[in-house]
Amino acid sequence: MQPVLSFEQAPPISVPYRFFLTAPLFGAVAGLVLVLLGPDTFQSRWSPGALAMTHLIVVDFMLQVMCGSLLQFVAVVAGANIWRPRLVAHIVHPLITAGAIFLASAFLLEQQVLFLVAAAVFVTALGLFLTVMFIALLRTPARGMSIYVLRTAVFGLLVTVMLGATLALTLGLEEHLQSEWSLLALINVHVAWGLGGWALMLVIGVSYLVVPMFQLTPSYPPWLTRLLPAGLFVVLCLWSLQLFASDAASQKWQTAVGLAGAGLGAVYAATTLWLQSRRRRRQADPTLIYWRGAMLSLAAFALSWVVLETVPQLGGSPRAPLWLGVLVIPGLFLSVITGMLYKIMPFLNWLHLQQQGGTVTTSPNMKQMIPEGAMRGQMRLHFAALGLLLAAVLWPALALPAGLMFTASCLWLEWNLVGAARVYARFRDKIRAAAGTAVAEPR
Amino acid sequence: MPEPRLIDGRDMEPPEPLERAMAELATLAPGDELVMLLRCEPLPLYSILDRNGFGYSASLQADGSNEVRISRKIQP
Repeated sequence: MQPVLSFEQAPPISVPYRFFLTAPLFGAVAGLVLVLLGPDTFQSRWSPGALAMTHLIVVDFMLQVMCGSLLQFVAVVAGANIWRPRLVAHIVHPLITAGAIFLASAFLLEQQVLFLVAAAVFVTALGLFLTVMFIALLRTPARGMSIYVLRTAVFGLLVTVMLGATLALTLGLEEHLQSEWSLLALINVHVAWGLGGWALMLVIGVSYLVVPMFQLTPSYPPWLTRLLPAGLFVVLCLWSLQLFASDAASQKWQTAVGLAGAGLGAVYAATTLWLQSRRRRRQADPTLIYWRGAMLSLAAFALSWVVLETVPQLGGSPRAPLWLGVLVIPGLFLSVITGMLYKIMPFLNWLHLQQQGGTVTTSPNMKQMIPEGAMRGQMRLHFAALGLLLAAVLWPALALPAGLMFTASCLWLEWNLVGAARVYARFRDKIRAAAGTAVAEPR
Repeated sequence: MPEPRLIDGRDMEPPEPLERAMAELATLAPGDELVMLLRCEPLPLYSILDRNGFGYSASLQADGSNEVRISRKIQP
């Protein structure tokens, strides 16, 4: 089946852009948390700084961009009608932003009430977002694997939010509510659904379309497009069974499930890298390099998982989960997201300007939206920050330079994205002025 | 009948084929034809053509690519 893009249903450009332009700022804040709290942050995954940083990035950076992109992508790719996208964006965007600030503050200040406020805000914001998205994805006439995978990803977000709200209630009402589930199992399952069932599932679904289209590669093998999401979903369901059993026998069984999940990640990374090696255009633009870096990070994550499972001395270290977290959050997801933003924003700029100007007005070229040198410079800084963050897991004394460099890369990304938005605004105003002049001139 | 202009967009990254089409359409005289070879169904292009007085026909080729033939609509 040929990929089809429809732009009749595209929501106003301000809908995705409000999410895109907020996200990198919170990445910068996360970096500053590392700078201020220093090496203690990387002592274990349970340190207040690590928990605050993680949620600032996964919610206020990743979730922001993913929600904004999905509002656009579902309308454009699935031809789905999103219910009042501008209103949804007006409500969901500020609430997600506020929710992540409450949550990060709850971890840093250890204030129980803030967990409850964060839970209420997230349930409201994401409840609305998920309802709108489910209805749009169920009603769409479009078919194909991308749609099925997007539906599964949205379900993954629902599970993540429900588990996250349960965790927040458990932490916020510590003395009044004792969860029947072990807190560790609840966290493990919440993390798996958030990173695997939502974020990775979404990346997989989107990649089926954008990798062949924008990187001019062959298509993913059809059997693999079915195996990956189905396998990942089964792995996540089996992983969730740890909520109900935590004896020694079930732990061994969970090890096997974890290894199967790492194997699926490795297969997806290897296939994407192989497809990219067979692309028809030899030029490597920042988006392609970002995707490659992301897939190498995913492969390194899978390899690390196997090593940490098989070498107990390493796997038992409190820093092992931090190593995995850095590989998967800034390494995999922020790389894919940034690479895609560098493609999506110029594309949306160009498209919306075309729609306003028709064939008469000359819009700037795609390549003029964000300077290539600026994208490459920011990309180098991002990968340098990733290297330093990994090094800081091993040698926490490097936390300060790692935090500074990560902050700098996020601020540079913000600068590049604001630049693209300003190019759009400038040419939109020119088109409007030209149209106004044409109307005013007597014929 | 003049030779049709050709844009082979099969190995171009979106939206380069559309960008080139915009440039060609600006100078497409009545009776001239623009032929595009693409790997996708260019719905954004179709809506632009509809709005700007162009007619088009698309046909699937043996290699799976899409051939789109564009010309100016004749005014009644």
